[in-house]
Amino acid sequence: MPCNFYEDKIVILDGAMGTVLQQKGLPPGGQPELLNLTDPALLDSVYRDYIAAGSQVIYANTFGANALKLGRTGHSVEEIITTAVTIAKRAAAGTGVRVALDMGPLGELLEPMGSLSFERAYELFREMAAAGEKAGADLVAIETMTDLYEAKAALLAVKENTELPVFVTMSFEERGRTFTGCTVASMARTLEGLGADAIGLNCSLGPDLLAPLLKELCENTRLPVIAKPNAGLPDPVDGHYDMGPEAFVEALLPCLEAGVTIFGGCCGTSPEYIRRLKVALEGKKPALRRYDEVGFVCTPVTPTRLDGVRVIGERVNPTGKKRFQQALLEEDLDYILDVAIQQEDAGADILDVNVGYPGVDEVAMLPRVVKKLQSAVSLPLQLDSSNPDALEAGLRVYNGKAAVNSVNGERAVLDRVLPIVKKYGASVVGLALDKGGIPQTAEGRVAIARRILDASLSYGIPKEDVWIDCLTLTVSAQQDQAVETLKAVRAVREELGLQTVLGVSNISFGLPNRPLITQNFLIQAMGMGLTLPIINPNQKEMMDAVAAFRVLSGEDVQCQTYVARFTGEPAPVKAVGPAADMTLDDAIIKGLKADAGALAKRALETESELDLVEKHLIPALDRVGEGYEKGKLFLPQLLSTAQAAQSVFEVIKTSIAEKGGTPVKKGQLVIATVQGDIHDIGKNIVKTVLENYGYEVIDLGRDVPPETIVETVVERNIRLVGLSALMTTTLPAMEETIRQLRELPDPPVTFVGGAVVTPEYAEKMGADYYSKDARQSVEIARKVLG
Amino acid sequence: MMPDIDEALRYLGVGGEAPEELRQKTKMVAEALAAEVQPRYTFQIFDLTRGGDRFLLSNTDIALTGGTARKMLDQCDRAILLACTLGTRFDALLRTEQVRDMSRAVILDACGSALVESGCDAAEEEIRARFPDRYLTDRFSPGYGDLPLALQPLICAALDTPRRLGIHVTDSLLMNPAKSVTAVIGLSDRPQRARVRGCAYCSMRETCTLRKGGKTCAL
Repeated sequence: MPCNFYEDKIVILDGAMGTVLQQKGLPPGGQPELLNLTDPALLDSVYRDYIAAGSQVIYANTFGANALKLGRTGHSVEEIITTAVTIAKRAAAGTGVRVALDMGPLGELLEPMGSLSFERAYELFREMAAAGEKAGADLVAIETMTDLYEAKAALLAVKENTELPVFVTMSFEERGRTFTGCTVASMARTLEGLGADAIGLNCSLGPDLLAPLLKELCENTRLPVIAKPNAGLPDPVDGHYDMGPEAFVEALLPCLEAGVTIFGGCCGTSPEYIRRLKVALEGKKPALRRYDEVGFVCTPVTPTRLDGVRVIGERVNPTGKKRFQQALLEEDLDYILDVAIQQEDAGADILDVNVGYPGVDEVAMLPRVVKKLQSAVSLPLQLDSSNPDALEAGLRVYNGKAAVNSVNGERAVLDRVLPIVKKYGASVVGLALDKGGIPQTAEGRVAIARRILDASLSYGIPKEDVWIDCLTLTVSAQQDQAVETLKAVRAVREELGLQTVLGVSNISFGLPNRPLITQNFLIQAMGMGLTLPIINPNQKEMMDAVAAFRVLSGEDVQCQTYVARFTGEPAPVKAVGPAADMTLDDAIIKGLKADAGALAKRALETESELDLVEKHLIPALDRVGEGYEKGKLFLPQLLSTAQAAQSVFEVIKTSIAEKGGTPVKKGQLVIATVQGDIHDIGKNIVKTVLENYGYEVIDLGRDVPPETIVETVVERNIRLVGLSALMTTTLPAMEETIRQLRELPDPPVTFVGGAVVTPEYAEKMGADYYSKDARQSVEIARKVLG
Repeated sequence: MMPDIDEALRYLGVGGEAPEELRQKTKMVAEALAAEVQPRYTFQIFDLTRGGDRFLLSNTDIALTGGTARKMLDQCDRAILLACTLGTRFDALLRTEQVRDMSRAVILDACGSALVESGCDAAEEEIRARFPDRYLTDRFSPGYGDLPLALQPLICAALDTPRRLGIHVTDSLLMNPAKSVTAVIGLSDRPQRARVRGCAYCSMRETCTLRKGGKTCAL
């Protein structure tokens, strides 16, 4: 049914359900959804009270009616939702009041914070949404979300499985972040992009404290905005909220001026609050809205406004990088993550992500890499692929507003990719080329840019989300083209008013002193209006040029960032390196990562890779390990050494990858944190140390079911398995894993460790070894694998 | 609010004097952490009634059982439930640091444990200030001493921690985010002498490397 919540209309929602039910006797922590079955009359009276007070939309009592929370009650999602919606519809019959299916958080944290997968979350919400529509709900209200990822799963589930309009409201703290760190701007622009019908804030604070956040929200969206605040804050002694109906309404009215049009109440409010609200809003007109039309990409924690030069890091890309290609083929996602974090540390604003390589299934790999990167990198990503299915798979699991690289002026490409860009609310890079190739003139490229813009607009993609790449050609091959590219950048920026992208590094291919040419081209391009250079942020010359440009353009206010960047920087010295008398063994023992890497490169000129491992790396690690055992050195020092060793290993791996040889590996083992356990730093410490002895560690992660471990052992013929458990409650899972492993015809050797594990437990569970710390796990690996 | 450096060092297994370099590094990590993450807490007060060998909290299904509760709450008529967390932001920082620098990561982990304890201390201060004429017991937590870990989900539900602090309890009774603490504090009209001290009550009991090596930190 049509359900329009236009900006020019004020809509009144209901107030609290949970706290009203508590006042009527529901114990705190009790499950209010069961009341749908046990006390429908009570709910009916609450709905009727809200309708009488003036609510135009009531939320059915389905906040926690998901399969996770209902799991132990013996009642199905469909049963509870059908009953709840039916009760609400009956109460609303003949009043014109609409009934919303209410969907709250699932009650478990999603990956990477918890172990609930995005796909499973989607499925749980889908089940609710489908039941809600079937039961006759008029709309869906997703509320009290603190994780943008969970809100996205819920929103997609509603959009893809029902025809219902959908509200999304999230809960913020006073400092303008949700518990998971999501900002107001990230929330607003991500959810609008994903197709929500109205968005807003609910719960957590009173209207006085939510007002500034609502104002910010109104500036970041074109959608109608919802305010459903608490009646102030609860008192820890008596649990009462501190704002009465009058104060509540008075504090809420300024939100109308900020642009809010949909009003209601959350915890601590009651029908009386809604009645007063209704009176106060009588005859009031919505305020004029001022949307900030700026280019934007984000993760929840990093909103990135494109109102200056923003650097796109180019390093997550296998082209021309043997070590990266090897990592992709071996599915070594940790390496890829490391490459990404280096760019974040170097000052990139956005990371381009390209995992296309022969032998790699991009459709499967891109979402995996997106999830992996988002577990530890806070920058927005630009998904780079020519495969639309891979792009869709990546965008689907991306948390925030991403960019897509790329489309071009070809009609078939535009029609295939732009709907995906629109569906997921991404920005899109359009290459100024088409079937006819790259136009040789600036005018030709601008004409294609215009076509891409028009096509994007026709698919509903707003102008600020269209970025144009005017294409860098190698100057040593086509010398006249550098100028054409620069002219095209200026025209796209000035005439079309779009963001401009350029892969800058190409320019200098084939020339000596490449950084000089690249830097010069970058500076000229920024001067012409390049806003999104794709560069290697690890190259200091490039980032210096960007820093200087930001001073001259006025973006770096009072030159603060520039000054911070260059103050205290030591005078440049040629060939910074380890002290002349330092040996490789010293560098490893002292944990000097950079020095160890440099010295390893030098050592490879005279020694083999294997000698480096056997004669330097392992003896040095052993010396530190002994110090640790004797209590003379502590864990951070042991790990510093491990990291220095890791940089030596990277040198060895790169050297072997370049020669195309087989990697130095001392044998494979599997490690995992057992099912139910989600904290895994202990296991990661063991992994770091073992890897630096040359063992190939297959890390199955945390919360790993016994079956997964057994399957991996069988598939890859593993001879050693390490298991970690942190809690007494997860020891049974460890025991079960060992039991299943021992049932194999040729069981692998097992070792166990972790906070609660003792030698006695280990023996009782049938483990072959107990490992008290990372150091001991090395001894065990040596005994078993050599 | 800053984490206590000595406490963080103890979490790193440093029993005696810490090497100066390690102390400095820990201090730097602690400062960077405190600039980024601050503990948040919530608490609520309940009437306490004795039912046999257990203590019941008013308006909840919570019964505190075992010797620790008996010893600590013997003279109390009310109890406070407290929850404190560093939030998921800390976990995100720790994930990133584990990729960047494992050595700093274990220091960060220790500083996080110390910081969440500082948060509990701050909550305790606030409680003291609210009840100036009452005496507080030491705080004690599920899973330590003999207070059942199974209370964790009930305490979190009573405090509505998913909504108020973003703390969730998994099926295996782990709290998520990782650096989260719940505790019970008794209120009495008389000064409280019973203490929870020593390894049996230590929040580090499960992970203490000193204890695994048969030593104690003598706190």
